[in-house]
Amino acid sequence: MNRTRRSGSYISQSTLRLSPEGTYEAGRGILVPRALCLFGGKMAAPLEVIVSSDSGSQLWNCTVFDPLSGSSLLSFRGGNSAARSLTVLRGEFLLSAQLGKNFINVWEIQRKDQLQQKIVCPGVVTCLTASPDGYFLAAGVAEAIYLWEVCTGKLLSVLSRHYQDVTCLKFTDDSSHFVSAGKDNLALVWNLCSVVQMDLSHAPEPRHILSRHSLPITDLHCGLMGTQARIATASLDQTVKVWELSSGELLLSVLFDVEIMSVTFDPCEYFLFCGGSDGNIFQVSLCSQSLSREKSFQSEGEGNQVFKGHRNLVTCLSVSMDGTLLLSGSHDESVRLWDIQSKQSIRCLAHKGPVTNAVIMPAPANMFLPDSRPAIPLPRFSRHLQSAEGEAGDNGDVCVRPGLHAQDEEETHLQRAERLYSLMTAITDKAVFGEGENTKVRIAELEEEVQTLKKVNKDLYEFSTQLLTKPT
Amino acid sequence: MKAKKKKRQDDFQKVKLKVGKKKPRADNATNTNFRTRGINLSEQLKRDTSGPTTHRHLGINDLLSQLHHYNANVKHGALLGLRELLSISPSLLEQHLSRLLSEVAAVLTDKDGNVRVAATRVLRFIAQSVPAERVAPFFPLLSAHLSCAMTHIEAPIQEDAMNVLDVFLEYYPSLLAARPGVLLTNFLEMISHRQTSGGGKKAQDPKGRIWALSVNPDRTVTSQQWRLSVLLRLGRFLQAVVEERPTEEGDMSVRAEGVFGSSREGLVKTLYLNWEELVYSKVGVKLYENSGAKPSPQSTFRLRPEVGPEATVSEGLDSVETVQGFAATLVPLLLEVWVEASASDCNWKSTDGAHLLSPDTMSVMFQVLSILQLLRKLTPHQENEDALDAWFRKEYLADFKQHFMKNFPYGARDASKHKKKVDHKRSKLNTAIPIQTVEPLALNITLCQVMVSLSQKQGLDLEADGEWLTPLRTFVQDTLGGGVKLSYRQLHLLLGTVWKMVFTQRSRALTEDLLAAVYIYYKQRNLPLQTRSLLLSFYSKLYLQEQGHTHIARSKVLCRWLASLPVQLAQLGYRNPTLSSQLINSIHAAASRGNKDLLNSLQTHACRLYDPQDGVVVLLPAESQQRMMQLLYFLPKISQPLLAHLSGCCTAGRISASLAGSLIRILHFRSSLGGWSVGGQEAALQDVDYISFLFSTLTGFSSENLATLQEDESALPSTPLSPLCLYPTPLEQFTHHWDVVEEVCHCLETVGSKSQCFDILQNGICKYLTKLDVVPDSMATGLLRAVSRLLDLSVLPVEPVVRFLSHCLLSLLALLLALQQEAPTETNHKREAIWGACVTALSSVPRLLRIVLQLMRVGDLNEEELPQLGQILLMLLQHTPLHNQLLANAAVLQEIIQNLTRYSRGATREQWLTDLLYCYSVTVAHGSSAHRGSLGLRDMY
Repeated sequence: MNRTRRSGSYISQSTLRLSPEGTYEAGRGILVPRALCLFGGKMAAPLEVIVSSDSGSQLWNCTVFDPLSGSSLLSFRGGNSAARSLTVLRGEFLLSAQLGKNFINVWEIQRKDQLQQKIVCPGVVTCLTASPDGYFLAAGVAEAIYLWEVCTGKLLSVLSRHYQDVTCLKFTDDSSHFVSAGKDNLALVWNLCSVVQMDLSHAPEPRHILSRHSLPITDLHCGLMGTQARIATASLDQTVKVWELSSGELLLSVLFDVEIMSVTFDPCEYFLFCGGSDGNIFQVSLCSQSLSREKSFQSEGEGNQVFKGHRNLVTCLSVSMDGTLLLSGSHDESVRLWDIQSKQSIRCLAHKGPVTNAVIMPAPANMFLPDSRPAIPLPRFSRHLQSAEGEAGDNGDVCVRPGLHAQDEEETHLQRAERLYSLMTAITDKAVFGEGENTKVRIAELEEEVQTLKKVNKDLYEFSTQLLTKPT
Repeated sequence: MKAKKKKRQDDFQKVKLKVGKKKPRADNATNTNFRTRGINLSEQLKRDTSGPTTHRHLGINDLLSQLHHYNANVKHGALLGLRELLSISPSLLEQHLSRLLSEVAAVLTDKDGNVRVAATRVLRFIAQSVPAERVAPFFPLLSAHLSCAMTHIEAPIQEDAMNVLDVFLEYYPSLLAARPGVLLTNFLEMISHRQTSGGGKKAQDPKGRIWALSVNPDRTVTSQQWRLSVLLRLGRFLQAVVEERPTEEGDMSVRAEGVFGSSREGLVKTLYLNWEELVYSKVGVKLYENSGAKPSPQSTFRLRPEVGPEATVSEGLDSVETVQGFAATLVPLLLEVWVEASASDCNWKSTDGAHLLSPDTMSVMFQVLSILQLLRKLTPHQENEDALDAWFRKEYLADFKQHFMKNFPYGARDASKHKKKVDHKRSKLNTAIPIQTVEPLALNITLCQVMVSLSQKQGLDLEADGEWLTPLRTFVQDTLGGGVKLSYRQLHLLLGTVWKMVFTQRSRALTEDLLAAVYIYYKQRNLPLQTRSLLLSFYSKLYLQEQGHTHIARSKVLCRWLASLPVQLAQLGYRNPTLSSQLINSIHAAASRGNKDLLNSLQTHACRLYDPQDGVVVLLPAESQQRMMQLLYFLPKISQPLLAHLSGCCTAGRISASLAGSLIRILHFRSSLGGWSVGGQEAALQDVDYISFLFSTLTGFSSENLATLQEDESALPSTPLSPLCLYPTPLEQFTHHWDVVEEVCHCLETVGSKSQCFDILQNGICKYLTKLDVVPDSMATGLLRAVSRLLDLSVLPVEPVVRFLSHCLLSLLALLLALQQEAPTETNHKREAIWGACVTALSSVPRLLRIVLQLMRVGDLNEEELPQLGQILLMLLQHTPLHNQLLANAAVLQEIIQNLTRYSRGATREQWLTDLLYCYSVTVAHGSSAHRGSLGLRDMY
């Protein structure tokens, strides 16, 4: 009951977010469906699940827990996952990079005992993530970022812009951009469309280079709101920095006493959670109210803003959808669940080795239905970059590109524009240099084409007027 | 006719006077029946008290009204008076600013030269004392008068207008630059005229120009000098326009003014916080949507339009088109000026091929080029600059090549030979326009810059470009490599040229040559700081741009430069912290990119840099120290001697405890025990070395130090109560060491298996420390702290270590007593630390307490030491968490108490003994009730 009430109040907070000008602004927060919260505890399958993995376990790779009861629901077998490499693709596949090896394990999410395939990579995979829309898969292999297209399994692009190992990769929630961070102190913001473009003449450039850290970046979190998101980066230089994705500007930099190994926002971005190398989790409020007079009497002691409990590096942090629970994984071989408001550890899930991944995620639909099948089977992923012309022509493959809203430039468009342009210039060139009859023929052709186009346009117009004026 | 006559007679009727009759009063007769009286106008005698006056007793109102006088002398006098008055009482300026400005500006177009000069002086005086923002509301008026004067039909007024413009340019550049449209046209009109006559001329002119250079024979100066003076002002004005423009962030590559030394400042203000401030709520964070951490309080919105609707010509210069339009008018004129100037000079050739020019011509040419240079920068955005460059290239490349490049390296004609003939005539005129002479070097450099900006990026016309770029390049190389003395500004321009050439030419050999020339300049000794840092930032920016430009990335000169950085840093020492921090930044950038040359060089010089005695790391300010510590992370291998140095750095106290902490943690991350590893990065240091580093940092003293301490006299002597000689470390060192110990303990705890860790620790203690007689108190405390933190119940500490620790402990307790007596407040922290370490050690290492108690042999003590022992026992008894432990050793304790009471056979029972006995009885009584609990404990022994 208590939980329901809290989530209810949370909804009102999140939808009416106080903007700096003093007006109420709706929509930045996330809406939690009330009904789901209400029935969350009673339903057979939980609404959200904890997925965690450690580097020491012999028996299983990663385990799924119920955040409410703390009971283990499923465990996937086979190998161990590397840090920051556990990801769910389309809610149908679970992927994780094998620790210290050069392949990625793929499970169908309802089949915990058997691997669907192993994606072999050219080197040890340091981080892995799938885009939220499920079209792309990105992995960091040493200094390079590999980007696959999920539906065909083609390796679309290898970005080697980092100078040292890539530590972290994150997509924005609308899958239009992704951010990579590395040991060379840099974080790069990439526009997915420009990366995917099949323009082999020049290597894609990142949209922004965030270069204010002075030691390797350990973790990265990308907020909500698509291209208007904020990015938080944590680094060994003891700072956490918050950036604006759209402009690449640094908004905030917080210097701590210890190195920060992990960072996350709550969904509303009221708080920033930073996991330190000494096992403490620090909470920074991003929308603190101005200090009123009566408030100054109750001194906010240190205990109020620190989650204490871990004894070693806190390597993973994740906040639940409603912003009340914080999940943390640490090298002290435990995963802890915290209540954010009271900052108490609710539950401690023991592991067999340093925790490499721990995340709260909405439960995929197929996870608890053993008979389900993925809607689309996963193809084999290729190891090598394919040259665009040769392969595409031979196999007759269809290239799927980002959805319409994200598609501002496309290869075929470019080609078409080029062709048209050359056509047009050809005509003018010829007109200038006076190639008589040839030009006339061309003009006749073009006039014909104009006629047909006009006709098509007219048909279209009539059709649509009919459609619109037809009484419903 | 008749009628007229008759009428006339009517008018002048004769008055007939008759005798005896009274004479009629004449019409104009004066009535004299009045009386006179004196009137005193006392006000007139008084001074004008309404305000201060000049020495002629004229107030400001009089003076201002006199400005309207028809007589030029009166006006001149009034202006002089105004100046005097304003210098006497500056307060008048504030009260009458509006009237003053409007009246004085009105006489700027006066016909009389003296009046104009005086008015200009008054204006200059006002400008000196009134800031720009207060003049801003009146500036439209002022600039209207200025325009009026500039476009005046009389030449002398135009000439004087230049002086007024000088005043404004000097004091109010921003106000002038805010409305450039009208003024630019005025400039054009001053040196040229619009060809209004119809089609005939236009047909001749292929480019359809409608402006042509004008010659006015009436002027007192030659037309060349006149043009020079106009161009000079135009140049300054454009400079003001360019400088006032708000620069955007991020365009670090091309904006020539701020290329290398620029500080990036964005629109969004970043909030920098640290955790401690946040915790104690000293600052609140508010992150705003789309505007960063702070809302901007000033709005740029204005309801009124910035400029009146009547001004239409090239408004604002804020788009490429307007700038192009203006340039299209100006550039042909400039070319004409150039041609005339160079034609007026006969062709002199020096022996080394330089084209010689007279000083006047040189300055004209220089002005032409600098205006061209400024024109490029007029565009508001950087991408437009490229568009403008392309446009220039398209329109004028041929002209420029023809005129500028024909005689390219220009030199000064030797003045002494040729001056005599011409000079006498000119010297008088020259005084009218004092213009500083222009060096041929400056002229050549500017020419390079103008021409290079026209060169194109793509390789299409590379051959064509290469042909005319070659002389420029050789000139740049010769100048930089030939040891020519350059001013800061000249060097800046030259570097900008090199930058542009490197990026447009994209040829490895050329890049190599150019960079080598810069490197020769760089290697000179005795460069001033500013120049040095300019060169540094040139190289480091170039290095940062390397990605995607293989010709830069593979440049050997650049590699050599990078490799030389650590040596330079070491050589620079503490002499110049700003330069050092610049060096460190460059090193940091290259190190984070894993540049092999730099890392190798850094590794070889690391020992020198990180020397705890005189290495750079202890000499520089704190921020640089931190950067240097961060550099360690990138070292591929950290050798043993370096680790020894670093340990020395940690313990010597010349870097702060927090920095030492982060140093230890950085090493922790670079060891294989650190836990955080992504990818295949190898550990930089071996585990053995790392552990021994931790151990020596934990002890806080090197073995040599400890050896010298053994002979030190200042240590406290050994007594039965303190079996070891404790060396009292200074308070600061103690606190520093305490903080470092905490950090080391934390690292040791997270290393992995606690028991193995403890094993190593006790081996170390056994091997190196148990033999010591004199032990520093900080070390003893640190060891106790570490042992209690690391001890695992499954491990039993070996006998010698426990014995050594118990000696330490007892000595520390004795020291604690001594400290309590003498200095109460200062040593608070130290006392707490010692007491905390002792107590936790006692409670976590069970056998320690028993041995300590066994060490308390009452029989060996003398009279004075008995109370001390009593107090120590009292302290232990009063500490409740120790009760169980004490009870487990009840037998030993009882014996000590009995001995104590026996030996202190004073006549009166002393207070300490009473307290002790009371405490003892309470403890034992409490213990008997909880007897069962302590049984289990006893089993542990």
